[in-house]
Amino acid sequence: MKRLRVAITGLTSCSGCQLALLNCEAELPQLLELVDFRFFPMACSPATLESDYDAALVEGCLSMPHEQELLLSLRKRSRYLVAVGTCAAWGGVAALKNDQDREQLRQQVYGTDSTAALETFSPLPLNAVVQVDATVTGCPPEKEELIGLLTGLLKGSLPTLISYPVCTECRMKETLCLLTERSALCLGPLTLGGCGALCPALGVPCEGCRGPVPEANLAEAMEIYLQKGYAQEAACERLRRFCPGWRA
Amino acid sequence: MRYMEISKLQRLLDLLRQQGELHSPVLGDDGVTRFELLPPGKLPDLAAIRTQLPPKKYLLHPQETILTYQADAGYRVPLATVPAMILFGLHPCDLAGISYLDRIFLGDEPDQLYLSRRAALTLIGVSCTPDEFCSCRLYPSPLEAWYDLFFQQSVDGIAVSIGSPRGAELMKILDDVMEERELLLPEDTRCFFGRKIPLPPESELDQGLPEWQVLAGHCIGCGACSVCCPTCSCFDVLEFGGLDGSSAERLRRWDNCLFRSHAEVAGGMSFQKDRAQRFRYRYRHKYRGFGQVKGVPGCTGCGRCRAFCPAGLDLRALAGKLEGDAS
Ligand code: SF4
Ligand code: SF4
Ligand code: SF4
Ligand code: SF4
Repeated sequence: MKRLRVAITGLTSCSGCQLALLNCEAELPQLLELVDFRFFPMACSPATLESDYDAALVEGCLSMPHEQELLLSLRKRSRYLVAVGTCAAWGGVAALKNDQDREQLRQQVYGTDSTAALETFSPLPLNAVVQVDATVTGCPPEKEELIGLLTGLLKGSLPTLISYPVCTECRMKETLCLLTERSALCLGPLTLGGCGALCPALGVPCEGCRGPVPEANLAEAMEIYLQKGYAQEAACERLRRFCPGWRA
Repeated sequence: MRYMEISKLQRLLDLLRQQGELHSPVLGDDGVTRFELLPPGKLPDLAAIRTQLPPKKYLLHPQETILTYQADAGYRVPLATVPAMILFGLHPCDLAGISYLDRIFLGDEPDQLYLSRRAALTLIGVSCTPDEFCSCRLYPSPLEAWYDLFFQQSVDGIAVSIGSPRGAELMKILDDVMEERELLLPEDTRCFFGRKIPLPPESELDQGLPEWQVLAGHCIGCGACSVCCPTCSCFDVLEFGGLDGSSAERLRRWDNCLFRSHAEVAGGMSFQKDRAQRFRYRYRHKYRGFGQVKGVPGCTGCGRCRAFCPAGLDLRALAGKLEGDAS
């Protein structure tokens, strides 16, 4: 069988999504039979760009000009471009301070007398710059999602984005609802599912790491949070941790 | 009538355990009551009005493989032997829920997976006292709930009704803990949706009813109402390729008609674009039924959708208005 020619790279990110794939230790030998990782700087050298790929999997958001160049050249060379992880999909934690002045932030971190030109811009999700064919969200995505993405691509199909919230999976697991029973600030109702309600199942409220669910009813959720004693700003701040786009 | 003193409950449970895996409502450390394996020595949580998930979880798993594909063998239903299981402590609404699912999954073309699990189940009902979320007293149609045995709780024990040949067989085994008593049980006055009713005209579910918008405005789309409903049984179908490059698995996963994806078709088109439309659709299916259950209302009154809705939504007022209220 023809192996899937894949490029994997990370832009501004923690490399956790790529690591999640490398952590699929039991599956990697079989995966290597099906997938030819042609460009995967984090895992194999040498890493030089080739003329074409069946798919490019890109982790992280865009915050530097050279990242934009790399992304554009991967887009040109790949049949499919997949945003992998919350940063690539929504901006993620790197975009946490997008509402603040960039130059001030730079000075806070690198000092005022720093002469080295640090060319950065406010972090953007991939679809702000290129066409994204599919998204696998998560911080990091679940192992099954990454393997499913690759075996799907091998058959020429793209993964469908789950459209229901974490709550649905939480209820399917018959977990205690931390929002209604413990008045915790759980972001489950507003957050895309797919993680199997990992956090609430362990007794920890959902932090919203997978980004916004389609048709999120923010107004009513805020009403419920308020009834539980959380001010709108506190809830919004929590939401923006993984997706700067949230505004109440 | 056959009667058991409550002091003999442990002995009864031990006898039942010899007939199969015994599952009943169990109060967890986290305060949630769930149907689960009842370990010897532990008492079932018979005081609980409702478990969080209904017993449908035994018949339709939240997510399960329904077909496997192998290049040489083609598609196969992954049928496995299901060990005999006894569900003890089912309230009438949950029995009615299983009866409703039976209509859907054991109708014209029985679902093999459902059938294999259903055949392994023995259903033992227990009477209960409705709380503020229950609506089993509201509607004017009598309960249709199939059971093998039903235990009517009274002051110091339970009176047993037999509902099936399997129940009659089981009673022989339970005879040790039973005695004969002359009892006059109060007539069961509960009314359930669950039997065919004459349908009010379709036009009554007018798209223009303001209720649909109001419900949609408050719903946060969490999915709890259908996940926890004993009769909601819509599922999504997904297929995944195996790591060997040739095999595949087809899954079904519980779905909810309030989700955008539920009515979405190829090309991003949708039959129910906004949540208000979807509420009307949900109402229509739940209270009027269609397909195999046309005319069979699918609300058993268990109250889960109300008890677990984070937005506190309650369709009782609307149902009272549209279906006629018995009270
Ligand atoms: S604990 Fe959180 S994720 Fe789970 S049902 Fe409650 S609000 Fe939803
Ligand atoms: S429960 Fe929420 S925070 Fe936890 S993994 Fe899932 S989406 Fe992320
Ligand atoms: S609609 Fe609500 S009350 Fe009726 S059976 Fe379903 S969960 Fe129970
Ligand atoms: S439980 Fe309530 S908020 Fe959640 S989907 Fe159902 S109606 Fe909407």
